[in-house]
Amino acid sequence: MAPPGQPRVPDVPLSDTPAPDPSVRRPPRPQTASGGGRRRDADGPAVATAVARELWLAVHLPHYLLESLQMRATIADGSAMPGEAGPVVVVDFARGGKTLCDCDPRAAASGIVPGMALNSALALEPGLRVVSREPRRERALLDAVAAVAQEFTPRISLAPPDGVLLEVRGSLRLFGGARSLCDRLRERLQALGLDPRLALTPAPLASLWFARAGSEVALRRPDALPVRLAPVPLTVTRWPARTLQALATLGVRAVGDCLRLPRDGFARRFEPRLRLELDRALGRAPDPRANFIAAERCVLRRDLEPEIADTGRLRQALEPLLAELCTYLQGRGAAVESLELRLLHREAPETRLRLRFAAPVAVAGRIALLLQERLARTDLPEPVRAVRLRSGALVEAREEAGDLFARDRRRAAAVPQLVERLRARLGAEAVHGLCLVPEHRPEAAQKNGNLLVPAPASARAQANSEESGARPLAPRPVWLLAVPQPLEGDDPPRYEGPLELEDGPERIESGWWDGSDVRRDYYVARTPAGVRLWIFRERRAAGGWFLHGVFG
Amino acid sequence: MSLDELLRHPALWRAREPGEAAGRPGLPTGFAALDRCLPGSGWPSRGLVEILADRTGIGELSLLLPVLARLCAGEHEAGWLAWISPPHPPYAPALAACGIDIGRILVVRAPPAEWAMEQALRSGACSAVLGWAACRDRQSLRRLQLAAEQSDCLAVLFRRLRDGTEPSPAVLRIALASGRDGLEVRILKSRGGRAVSVRLGWIGATSPAQAH
Repeated sequence: MAPPGQPRVPDVPLSDTPAPDPSVRRPPRPQTASGGGRRRDADGPAVATAVARELWLAVHLPHYLLESLQMRATIADGSAMPGEAGPVVVVDFARGGKTLCDCDPRAAASGIVPGMALNSALALEPGLRVVSREPRRERALLDAVAAVAQEFTPRISLAPPDGVLLEVRGSLRLFGGARSLCDRLRERLQALGLDPRLALTPAPLASLWFARAGSEVALRRPDALPVRLAPVPLTVTRWPARTLQALATLGVRAVGDCLRLPRDGFARRFEPRLRLELDRALGRAPDPRANFIAAERCVLRRDLEPEIADTGRLRQALEPLLAELCTYLQGRGAAVESLELRLLHREAPETRLRLRFAAPVAVAGRIALLLQERLARTDLPEPVRAVRLRSGALVEAREEAGDLFARDRRRAAAVPQLVERLRARLGAEAVHGLCLVPEHRPEAAQKNGNLLVPAPASARAQANSEESGARPLAPRPVWLLAVPQPLEGDDPPRYEGPLELEDGPERIESGWWDGSDVRRDYYVARTPAGVRLWIFRERRAAGGWFLHGVFG
Repeated sequence: MSLDELLRHPALWRAREPGEAAGRPGLPTGFAALDRCLPGSGWPSRGLVEILADRTGIGELSLLLPVLARLCAGEHEAGWLAWISPPHPPYAPALAACGIDIGRILVVRAPPAEWAMEQALRSGACSAVLGWAACRDRQSLRRLQLAAEQSDCLAVLFRRLRDGTEPSPAVLRIALASGRDGLEVRILKSRGGRAVSVRLGWIGATSPAQAH
């Protein structure tokens, strides 16, 4: 579930007492189990035996499409709703925009429902306002919800596109119980113009399912989950439509029906993933969730008095600023991948320097080294009056574990630093790696590669053995001229004297499909001075001899 | 600071290891005749090596390809191979055919080759740094030699033959000449060794096609 690189939430056993196994057939419990009476569990005195170690509060936004667009309107022109002029429907222009994704209550009042064709909706309500969904706004809406959620707990996870999960076990006391916490969160979200559904259970997935189903429960005991989940319709699981249809033909429409199916058979007939999801919803399988980290930036400003015209002194003046930045970063366990430095002058337009790092950094010394190289290349039009330092988005800092004899790791860690230092002074194009391309034309058989930390030796050995199939048997020179150089003479050609052909010909005829086709006979030749050359005779109309490479 | 880093400090001399004078083991060159003439039976693993040649292509790289391939093959010590301002673009298929790991090559096109070379040496990321630079002033040469001495890395500087008349702090200086019967390697200076000449014949001339 968690993307690589994100920290995994440690798996915590959910309860001491084993929950009843739903795969064991047992008489259906009376429906009263899901009645309102049980809801008081959360606020009542905590049951000492089976309260879970984690409690996940799910925030589900059923109308997130509409709400993401409304938020933009409130920010843009201050008006509360863009839809004052008439009913609003949301379509997805990126997918043709033929069917409705969502509609507001006034449109719904005219009989419009999501999933309807746009033309049918316009027939029902000609004054319809049609807007397109904007995925970027939707993501921003979730971020805004998560930012609000940070007031309640530090452990937050996004469940795109329309959910946010909060782990609130530790916050309940502070906020005076689950109900009071939920009420406060709802108030804060409603102030943003949102209409959330909240559900609290020990399992994050179960909370999401309840919230999607619109049943606002607050459960603190994991053993209550199977019973309470039973009546929830299966559509909340968002399993593939085909799977849901297949289940419906079996008469399985609610989670409880699903739990009564034989465990092995269910995993065999449908994806094992679905079985795992059921286990997670019941709190029986660990459900690691990626932590949400708010996109923060650090902006620092410093006035320079007196003004500084010399880059060397400017670097010194920036050092406290860098130290401050690094304190900020280390306090958050974060690092930056880029920095922007603005040098403000009295008259001239500001000078902007952008620093990009090969790997996230949070160490002032490394930033200072790079900055020194950049400043040395920079011409200041005027003395600098003030500096503004703006960090790029914060990323999670990854600390290498120390090792007393760690030579390998130190080398691997040194590569990005070397590359970024060289690039800072020489430009990004001046530093590159090499990469093989399976191609017969010599000039196309390689390209400049990216510089990545090398793969482990075993993977390399495998790659080498795979490549060896494409490797030419004939000799190849270590130096290849960027452009073949015409040679004088014909039979034998001359290059600082008559050439002696040693090996060849090797005919290379390829590339007719992309316009730069090649028909050549390659030879290895030696000059009187003993230099070995790779030359070819052009087989096409123009003819002639060319020098293409030098054996080192 | 790791212990390993501490042990690499130039001021620290470990009694169990033969010192510089006693002949620190070198990196085998891959040519037995040459190994016999070099103090550590191979390329010095610390300190600058100067290769002087007036022509590109007389075999100056063939001389190094075996050791580069060996550096790539090492499981633990494998660092990067930095090529600093080479005279032409290096050709990956040829290097791969010699057993060099293409993924570890770093090509730098730098007008101040001495600076880039020093950075590469000091970074500790490379197991070999090959540089093509004129190195006109003594100061930059000394800096390079110092950086090479302190790093655990094969440092090779390619220069012109006429630079051989000027003094240099390099640990090993060899001049290459190509004659009728192959490459002639003249050792001009070798710390702890003797100045001799070796004839290596036509190295790197056997192509796989001929071998079959």
